[in-house]
Amino acid sequence: MSRIDPRGWGLNQRLAAVALTLGALTLLGSPSPGGAVTLDTRELADIVESEVDHITADELADWIVQGRADYRLIDVRSPEAYAEYHIPSAESATLRDLYDYPLYRNEKIVLYSGGGIHSAQAWFLLRARGFAGSYILLGGLDAWTDEVLFPWLPADATPAEVAEFEHRRRVSELFGGKARAGGGAVEQAGVELPKVAPPAPVAAPRKRRKLHKQGC
Amino acid sequence: MSAPFYRYALFGDEMSLILAVVIGIGFGFFLERAGFGSAKKLVAQFYFTDMAVFKVMFSAIVTAMLGMFYLSWAGLLDLSMVFVAPTYWLPQLVGGLILGFGFIIGGYCPGTSLVAVSTGRLDALAFCGGVLGGIFAYGEVYPSIAGFVTSTSMGRVTLDSWLGVRLSLVVFAVVLVAVLGFWGATTVERKLARREGADAGALT
Repeated sequence: MSRIDPRGWGLNQRLAAVALTLGALTLLGSPSPGGAVTLDTRELADIVESEVDHITADELADWIVQGRADYRLIDVRSPEAYAEYHIPSAESATLRDLYDYPLYRNEKIVLYSGGGIHSAQAWFLLRARGFAGSYILLGGLDAWTDEVLFPWLPADATPAEVAEFEHRRRVSELFGGKARAGGGAVEQAGVELPKVAPPAPVAAPRKRRKLHKQGC
Repeated sequence: MSAPFYRYALFGDEMSLILAVVIGIGFGFFLERAGFGSAKKLVAQFYFTDMAVFKVMFSAIVTAMLGMFYLSWAGLLDLSMVFVAPTYWLPQLVGGLILGFGFIIGGYCPGTSLVAVSTGRLDALAFCGGVLGGIFAYGEVYPSIAGFVTSTSMGRVTLDSWLGVRLSLVVFAVVLVAVLGFWGATTVERKLARREGADAGALT
């Protein structure tokens, strides 16, 4: 071992030298791709046109109630807005954070923002980088507030709608919201105000899920 | 075109199963040729008299690791899509210990027991029976231990993300540890072989 003369080395020593050299060479580079990508704009347009790029607030609520863990929920609003209220199980990452946020290309990723514009932009950025399982929460947090937290039942609802509303009422309670039954369109506009969403459902959602598994 | 091919949907489930069989048979063949179809050889690992298992496994790790690093550097492999088993450190620690005990007592690990069965070894056949029995028993008691099995979850953890260092640094460190390990293992082997030789000499 004292003399460094490769001609005298056996196979093992040579292999070790090759491994060490290759290992040392790795220090020169990093395999993570940079920010530049090439993308197929036609393919992206097809995905958007065929409307398979989003899920609805009701679907998301059911996933959370069922305790599904096969997706990541990302809140792309500001950290302040996130701290004020966020959908249970959501993680906070702004558009800029998303670049090196620990997401994987084989994960199902649901993005939401206040309305839907930022989440759509985040969706585009992720898709462009090959995150094929990215989805937008349709309507964003507004839709979540209107449909899940504070669902509204019109006075002239059909029996089917009433039955569905019963399900929604229980789901909204689960998330700390409150269902609004009866009343006309005018009243709905009035009730829209108490949108200051409570941060209630953040604590211990796991136990609640188990108690309340009516989702599936 | 980029790997992993399955994740990029270049082929489906059926093709992936066929490939798994082909690769599995190749893997088994080389395990057998490395002498890993013999419980004596495998158990010698734990008495530090024959470190072949350590050397073969660690060479495989280093080879695969370097290969994957350079493939991803060349843009042919997407590391973020390579499956990494999620970490549950406490249950996996316990499971690892149980597997280790089984390895020492039975003389095989699950893969090598199948290799040994293929050459008709009866002890390996008994070992496989035990493996199947264990899998069955685990399935039966799973509901009562599910809470423990899924506890202490750390998600998808890799050394570089856990330590907060560059991936290349981990690669280099592992190669370094491997080479030092090979050197150490060979030294220990020689030392023990000499002592055994001395013991044998004293007996005659």
